[in-house]
Amino acid sequence: MTAPIGRVVATELKPSTPHQFHFWTARESPVGIGAIVRVEAAARTVFGIVTDGFAYSDLLTPIHDVIGADGDPALAGFAPTERAEIRLYTAAVLRQLPEEPLQPVPLGAVHLASDSDVVTALRMDAFLATATPTGMPAGVYAAGGLEAPIYLDADFLLGPEAAHLNITGVSGLATKTSAVEFLLSSIFQTFPVQKGSVAAVCFNVKGPDLCFLDQPAELSEEDRRLYGRLGLRPEPFGDVTYYAPYKADGVNLNTLRSHEALAANTMPLVWGLREVLDYAEVLLNKDDVDAKADAFIGFLGERVVGREFRDITLSDQPLEVKSFADLEDFFRRIFDFMEVQAKSSEVWRNHHIATIRKVRNRLGNISVRAKGLVTDDGQASDLPWGKFADRSVHVIDVAGIDPLAQDLVFARAVSKLKEHLERRDLGVDHVVVFVDELNKYAPADGPDTYVRRMLLELSERGRYLGLVLFSAQQFRSQVLRRVVGNAGTALFGRMDMDEISTPGYATLSPATKAKLAALPKGELMVRHPHFTQPLFVRFPRPAMLPGRVGVERFPPAADLPFPQAVARQLRALDPAVTVPKVEALIDGRREEDVRRALHATRRTRPDNVLAFFSAQLGKRVEREVAPARGVTGLKKTGDPYG
Amino acid sequence: MSTRASGWTRLRRAVAARGFTPATWIPAASEGRAEEATIRPARLVEDLRIGGHPVGSPEPWPGTVAFLDGTQRYEVMAYAGASPVVVAEIAAAVLERRDRQMHVAEVARRRLVIARPEVLGDLEDAIEGHGAIEISEDEPPHPVKDFQLARREVDAARGRLEVEIGHRYRSASNAWMIVDGALSESPQWARDEKMLGVAKSHATLPFGGGDLEHYLRLPAGMRSPVFEPAGNEVAPVFSWALRLWPWQGLNLLHGLIRVEAAATLETLARADQLSRWLLAERAPVSTPDPRWDRLLYGIRAVEEYLRASGE
Repeated sequence: MTAPIGRVVATELKPSTPHQFHFWTARESPVGIGAIVRVEAAARTVFGIVTDGFAYSDLLTPIHDVIGADGDPALAGFAPTERAEIRLYTAAVLRQLPEEPLQPVPLGAVHLASDSDVVTALRMDAFLATATPTGMPAGVYAAGGLEAPIYLDADFLLGPEAAHLNITGVSGLATKTSAVEFLLSSIFQTFPVQKGSVAAVCFNVKGPDLCFLDQPAELSEEDRRLYGRLGLRPEPFGDVTYYAPYKADGVNLNTLRSHEALAANTMPLVWGLREVLDYAEVLLNKDDVDAKADAFIGFLGERVVGREFRDITLSDQPLEVKSFADLEDFFRRIFDFMEVQAKSSEVWRNHHIATIRKVRNRLGNISVRAKGLVTDDGQASDLPWGKFADRSVHVIDVAGIDPLAQDLVFARAVSKLKEHLERRDLGVDHVVVFVDELNKYAPADGPDTYVRRMLLELSERGRYLGLVLFSAQQFRSQVLRRVVGNAGTALFGRMDMDEISTPGYATLSPATKAKLAALPKGELMVRHPHFTQPLFVRFPRPAMLPGRVGVERFPPAADLPFPQAVARQLRALDPAVTVPKVEALIDGRREEDVRRALHATRRTRPDNVLAFFSAQLGKRVEREVAPARGVTGLKKTGDPYG
Repeated sequence: MSTRASGWTRLRRAVAARGFTPATWIPAASEGRAEEATIRPARLVEDLRIGGHPVGSPEPWPGTVAFLDGTQRYEVMAYAGASPVVVAEIAAAVLERRDRQMHVAEVARRRLVIARPEVLGDLEDAIEGHGAIEISEDEPPHPVKDFQLARREVDAARGRLEVEIGHRYRSASNAWMIVDGALSESPQWARDEKMLGVAKSHATLPFGGGDLEHYLRLPAGMRSPVFEPAGNEVAPVFSWALRLWPWQGLNLLHGLIRVEAAATLETLARADQLSRWLLAERAPVSTPDPRWDRLLYGIRAVEEYLRASGE
């Protein structure tokens, strides 16, 4: 047993309770805020975590120090004897053994916690010392020269007991992103076999944050040592696929991960009318969502889009609405009919013209604001629904697209995950969804949007499905309380003092708040259902390239002219494709036809890329110069007046 | 108060079981020594008349310095007829100052029962673990007089304990040692050239008349001439008064200490130097102790240690 470093003291004004105690130490003691200590007393062992510290001397009032120094501050430090001084710490009880009867902490010797003490104090023995352990490393607890691994319980991080994780911290330190990357890596490496498979879907919402998860980072020796201490391999994710919408030109990807060397696993994210229409509610604000609009959208979805629609008032032939262009044509036919044939009637098939116009405007709006996301050819390039591989990461880069389109992407991706997990046919048993900037998507104040409702639904019921939300934001206080409240595990990086002073942090001691306000990069405060008090842990830098470094090493490719951009896309499938060959193929073609062929080629990934692409372009219709027609000149006659 | 009672509860019960009348009486000032106010004329060895010697600016004491003090507490816990049975705890300690930090160097404690001889005989094994001290039975039992006798015995026992640990410390260290009170407790102390006694009490004064007036009106930062106190024939010492803090507007004894040192020419030669070292000991101030103006912080630290670590 180690030598005691302190002694519990209890007075009438500062008594010990079952949940808190005070102890003093020598001045040179290594104890600090967040240190875990063990109190040994007869028939009882108590584990506590230091939450506050005090120091004072036997000086009764400051004036006595003035008197002692003859009023000269310079002399005050030269008294022959230093005043008796106390280092008094307050600790919150983590655990008492025996647990019953629960009693005030006894007066006893205080020791620094050992490795095994940390396991017991944090109740990690409940999930580490079992036949089927479910611990996953989250970092190391370091105090007083001790460095003990801290584990999170997979049952409480990824369900079914509790789930979800939320990270709060100031922007700019990369702590939030780094923590998620490290934790995901830890989950992928240590997720218990008996719990099945796991994958992650990450939304990259700003800059290049998550754009290089498959690229190795340069780690320091200290980082590698920490990985070793935690039993983890310092390596980037092995199976990562990126999805990004196109830019408005339909051929250049809208992502900072556009370097040609990274093109192999960077896919376009393109949706057709069907995909958008299913989530039309996302596009409508609360005022729009009335029964009439809902009914008309339902009509479009069930009767029109993707089906043969027959209505002789609109067309003699069956109408096929597969794309936004088809839909626009469909609307135009309705309006034409109502204006011309129905003699300015205001109702078509029981739908008022105002409702039809509103739905048309909203749907048309998305095709404009998310031009690179939606396609006119009706064919989607999407995540591999139903074919998610174990330990695969899917990053959807929405950083460069319109907020409305971001909402649409987010809503559809999460809904699809939910649908597949409900049917147990996604390909994996658990999916971690990472969303940054949560205060933007689920704000405490503001409109009750579809995305906000969906996040709430996810946080409240996702764990039963294996759908787990990892979320991050700068200001936890500005996020919908029920969303963050449902996060079983919470991480806190360096915090802004304004944020810490909000009521949500009232349970933290002033010293803990002060430590949070100055927390260095790579350190976090952790709340986890097994831990009765927040705990400070240190974690190594993630083994994958940070976004900032990634864009320097893999500079984004410049937007290319149309032919070169098409060639680059095809070269990702076949490095032998050259610009001249592509130029020869697409010369004189309409851009929309080329885009359609390109998307089909990317979707199919044929063996002979150029041949398939050429076939998709279809037979070239040769131009021919029509002879000039006109009115033939008048036959010359003699001018009787000439 | 309750802590003291509980500390002796077991003994009190055992004494009551033997037919004595249990009692609880903690006399006022039970933690201090009994002293009578008197004047005992001293012999000046430095000047011909009393006058103030400016000692110069305070100087920090070089090297290690030890502080020795003792504490006592006692109470009446029973009566054997009219005679009180007194129980006491005495303690003494040496705290050594190294690099401005105080460290416990020596400590000793004793628990005592003081009563008439036949009472102590009756108590026998009930007071096991306690030192037994008899008071005179020349006169018939008297509750007040017997108590005064017991109190004197406690004072003496404490003095002996202080001497004991002082000797123990000196056998291990040659550092300067400052004792709370007089050096005359021990002839060995009185001869020790690296020992000073610092008396806060002025119940016994060395001069009378006009000399006393000069003696008591020393300005701050000045000392009296060195003198040899009377009544220390066995262990003669040299002494002088030193004013640590201005007294004007307060009382004549405010900030006035009496220093004792070995009766040697060396002491005479360095009375100013020793006074400068002592002046530096004014800081830190020993508040909130009411004797802060005369109580050196090192001595107070010993008292605080003994009180805090006592049973």
